[in-house]
Amino acid sequence: MSDYFEEMGWTPLRDGEAPNSFLHMARLLRDFGMWDELGLGERLPPPASKEAISNLKDIKFDGTCQQCTVCLKDFDAASSIKSMPCRHSFHNECITPWLKKTNSCPLCRYELPTDDEDYELYKKEKKRAVQREEDVKSLHNSMFS
Amino acid sequence: MANIAAQRIKREFKEVIKSEEVAKCAIKVELVNDSFTELKGEIAGPPDTPYEGGNFVLEIKVPETYPFNPPKVRFITKIWHPNISSVTGAICLDILKDQWAAAMTLRTVLLSLQALLSAAEPDDPQDAVVAKQYKEQPEMFRQTAKHWTSVYAGGPAKMSDLDDKIRRLTDMGIEEHNARVALSSYNWDLERATEQLFMTVMAKN
Repeated sequence: MSDYFEEMGWTPLRDGEAPNSFLHMARLLRDFGMWDELGLGERLPPPASKEAISNLKDIKFDGTCQQCTVCLKDFDAASSIKSMPCRHSFHNECITPWLKKTNSCPLCRYELPTDDEDYELYKKEKKRAVQREEDVKSLHNSMFS
Repeated sequence: MANIAAQRIKREFKEVIKSEEVAKCAIKVELVNDSFTELKGEIAGPPDTPYEGGNFVLEIKVPETYPFNPPKVRFITKIWHPNISSVTGAICLDILKDQWAAAMTLRTVLLSLQALLSAAEPDDPQDAVVAKQYKEQPEMFRQTAKHWTSVYAGGPAKMSDLDDKIRRLTDMGIEEHNARVALSSYNWDLERATEQLFMTVMAKN
């Protein structure tokens, strides 16, 4: 059986280390739904990381994907086409400004990593909360079914 | 206006006009000026809702940074709906805020707004009074929304009992729309609506 810290996905404080009260405050705000109430949930997620943008694959025009859904123009041999990991492709000049604004695919919302530590932490916490809920549910089922 | 925004709106225009929804008269877009920054949208109230038979006009403002930023949309036609302000027509819809994505178009926005008319989100309200009525007195909400549709959006319903109550107030010198708002907000309780209206008049004097 795992210990408390491991189960929560937390690390115990080292000697002389102070707890991060900003992080605790952020968790509190989120858990009580105040995050959205303060309008923080209404902001777009942060930009994609510079690395993720520069790592986008260049693809050659081969006629399989026909239209860029950002500018609605058809691709042609002269287009510089970038492909996202979700395999949606866009003109370089269309996808780059979008990813400098927010980190997801304009078509399917596939998320690229960001350089924003707070956002990455927030995302991780959200994922962990879902995981914990599932764990509790399966524990509950194994006990009562 | 930035070139990419204007060019895209032009392309979208063609898309909307060719779409099958236009053929069914469900949605419509028109230009307001030549620079493609302001448009007029129109959606038909979806069937089996209190908005059925009504035509709702929308103001669409296209920002220079479109499609990287969402268009600004609000209802011109007055409407009784939990997620739309009955005063300003402001809309609470995630895709017009943080859930906007550059691949969305005027067509998908108008269809989403039509879907919002069929499925309100009372837990994320724009108009708290309407949302409260929607949750606590659904039948009263339905009647009120239908009445607003018939008065402001050309809906078919004639509701003489509600009209009578409004007339009682207009006979006392209250402006018709103010009377309608007060009655709608107080679940068509004539006494409470009257009280509220005269309280505001007294406070102003």
